[in-house]
Amino acid sequence: MDSFIQEIRGLFGKNEDFFLLQDYVSDAPVVLLGFKTLLDLTKTKSVLYKNIESMLSAGKSSEEILFNIGEVKEKDIKMATSTLLEGKLIILIENSKKYIVFEPVPKSLNRSVQSPENENVLQGALNSFTEDIDTNIGIMRKQLITTDLFVQSFTTGKNQKRKISLLYLESQADKDLVRKIVNRIETNLDMDINNMQGLTTLMGFSSWEAISKFHTTELPFQAVHLLNKERVVLFVDQLPFAFILPNFFWDLFAMENDRNFPKPIMIAIRAVRVIGILITLISPGLYVALVAVNPEVLQIELALSIARSREGVPYPALVEIILMLLILELILEASVRLPKSIGPTITMVGGIILGQAAVEAKLVSNLLIIILAATTIANSTVVSFQNSVSIRVFKYVVVLLSAIFGILGLVAGLVLVCAYFASLNTFGFSYLYVNLKKDEMNG
Amino acid sequence: MDKSLNVMVIYILSHLGLIFFMYPGNIIDSTEQGHWLPILIGVIVHFVFITIYMKGLELFPKKDVISIYSSIGKGTAVFFLIPVLLYFIMIILITVRAYAEIITIVFLSNTPLWAIILLILFISTYIAANGIEPIFRTGFLLAILFLPLIVMIFFTSFQNVDWHYFVPFDTDFKFMSSPSYYESFFAFSGGFLFLGFIQPYFSYKRKKVLIAAAILIPIFLFSVYIPILTFGQATAATTFLPYVVVVDTININWLMFDRVTMFFLLSLISFIMLYLALVIWKTVRIINHYIPSIHSSYCMILLSLAIFITCHFISDWKEVEKLFLWNTLLRFYVLFAIPLSIYYFGRRAKRKENNANT
Repeated sequence: MDSFIQEIRGLFGKNEDFFLLQDYVSDAPVVLLGFKTLLDLTKTKSVLYKNIESMLSAGKSSEEILFNIGEVKEKDIKMATSTLLEGKLIILIENSKKYIVFEPVPKSLNRSVQSPENENVLQGALNSFTEDIDTNIGIMRKQLITTDLFVQSFTTGKNQKRKISLLYLESQADKDLVRKIVNRIETNLDMDINNMQGLTTLMGFSSWEAISKFHTTELPFQAVHLLNKERVVLFVDQLPFAFILPNFFWDLFAMENDRNFPKPIMIAIRAVRVIGILITLISPGLYVALVAVNPEVLQIELALSIARSREGVPYPALVEIILMLLILELILEASVRLPKSIGPTITMVGGIILGQAAVEAKLVSNLLIIILAATTIANSTVVSFQNSVSIRVFKYVVVLLSAIFGILGLVAGLVLVCAYFASLNTFGFSYLYVNLKKDEMNG
Repeated sequence: MDKSLNVMVIYILSHLGLIFFMYPGNIIDSTEQGHWLPILIGVIVHFVFITIYMKGLELFPKKDVISIYSSIGKGTAVFFLIPVLLYFIMIILITVRAYAEIITIVFLSNTPLWAIILLILFISTYIAANGIEPIFRTGFLLAILFLPLIVMIFFTSFQNVDWHYFVPFDTDFKFMSSPSYYESFFAFSGGFLFLGFIQPYFSYKRKKVLIAAAILIPIFLFSVYIPILTFGQATAATTFLPYVVVVDTININWLMFDRVTMFFLLSLISFIMLYLALVIWKTVRIINHYIPSIHSSYCMILLSLAIFITCHFISDWKEVEKLFLWNTLLRFYVLFAIPLSIYYFGRRAKRKENNANT
């Protein structure tokens, strides 16, 4: 046995799922290498034999058969190991400098295309992206039947290989943007990408931005729509969503699926989302400002009823609201963490704390519960969970400033948030950029 | 790319912030009747000089004021830019101090002044440090958020108007001798200079800016007339910030808020923060032209710190007014000399070019 096999055995031999089998192709002795866990050995073998048989009956020699059943490669240990890890079958010809990569029958390790888990769709296409990058690209191809769609793939990572694919429409996407992205990926091919933060560093963005530079979506429908709007889509293998560059402010409010409704309804739905963001940002701050600093702004009856509802609450409005917001965040986080069968318990317990007990124990005021509920509900109207988390963070800036400066702080907080939005920039596209080419507008 | 709309928005916002506070009081103080004449003269001066300014700037395509002056000569640059720099620093100082005082008087009587000054300066510096394009975009967002509120309150402020106070109509030129009339030019001279600083970044059409200025005319007129029509001249003259007092009298039953003033004032203060950001940015542009070694963000922080410290030496409103008066000379220098000189140099450059061609 030659040194090549020894070397590979040295690398993988300790693994139980690695196999090394003697076999014959017609009369030539070969060695089959692969991972049992990545390929279906029995099926692969039967396909291999069938191939050989059909070629034998066509009267080919064993040499010819070998060079026709797969890709022929020079012996190179690095290439061979990565091919093996990708789940391919390697056919090693004894006493030869070459090996053959055979496309095996893979073990099905991916879930099938399912309906989206993180984004709900009402009256729209229900399939969503999965972990397998090829499936995702396939879904996109199925939705975009055009010669215009280009797919560029890269393998990144030094120790842990991962495939990244870039999709864009030649006629739509900004040439400059595509060039910059390809450039970035190619210069940073050595980086290991496992998550969005990795992708952010790969793209050379600051990792301290509170708003993601990528618009993420699980919905192929949405991704296709955005491709048509000059954007580009990135897929990372094993991450079940599309990263869309650049991310714009208007994406907080607009979903392609809205267009499955009549236009007036669509406008109304989007208006609801705009109001949602405003309520999320303003209402907790307004509560603190009105209760703690500027009660004179309210009409006297209202001011009195608020004061009455706060009667007996032992601490200032800021502490009260931060406490309750914290509990709320804990509930949100806990319900993500727990298995689905225990999840409702949290909802129930949380509901009791927030709804009744805390008020009756005079720990917080009634009004605060209403404000809190309104905030949480409003926060959830934003498109895409990523965005709603960002907005959730900005709320605290506004609350803190309001506690110090009252309504001035509220306005100052809003100005600050606006200025932050205005300062964001992705590859020369402002976050507030609005594509006015079609019928959407507003900024 | 044509960014006229952005320029219009910023133009309107920064002037709105300046008009509604001091301007009505100054005009009402300057004369007893026929206020339309001082307003009209102010507006005409405003229009004439922004037209001259923009015409002059058009003769230097893609160049800002700083590069225009320095292309002519070092002496000229110093002669024109240093007063502008001084003027900018003065208006940042006065605006921050004055508006902090107004905020304390109107609704934050318990908060120490320094905290308010710090907040205003912090936010303005943050916006300015982002650069000129984010300043304009912030302006756009603020306009969407707060402009509807301002327009609504502006219209409701007609609630208690008695149109009989419009007479007497006849007037004389006595206001020309009143110092407060010259102070009122703060509202005209404060905002327009930015048109000359944004050239390489933003291009705009002259007509659009003039439209923005025309939109402001009724605001100038009514910001003075609404207090007069509501209280009458004699009473209005005794109030400190006449328009704010008027807004305080508004009563809207269906609104849960009693003091609409607060929202009106605060929307305007958000515009003032934007205006300050713009002025800080312009100031640092000039400073950076002379001292290019400092990074502009550090320069902004240093400037804001200096302003913050200087604000403490102004102990009360009387001193603010004194500063306001001292600033008058610079104000008129900026209002007259800059547009005229730009226009003059532009014509001269054009003539030279023509001579060279023939």
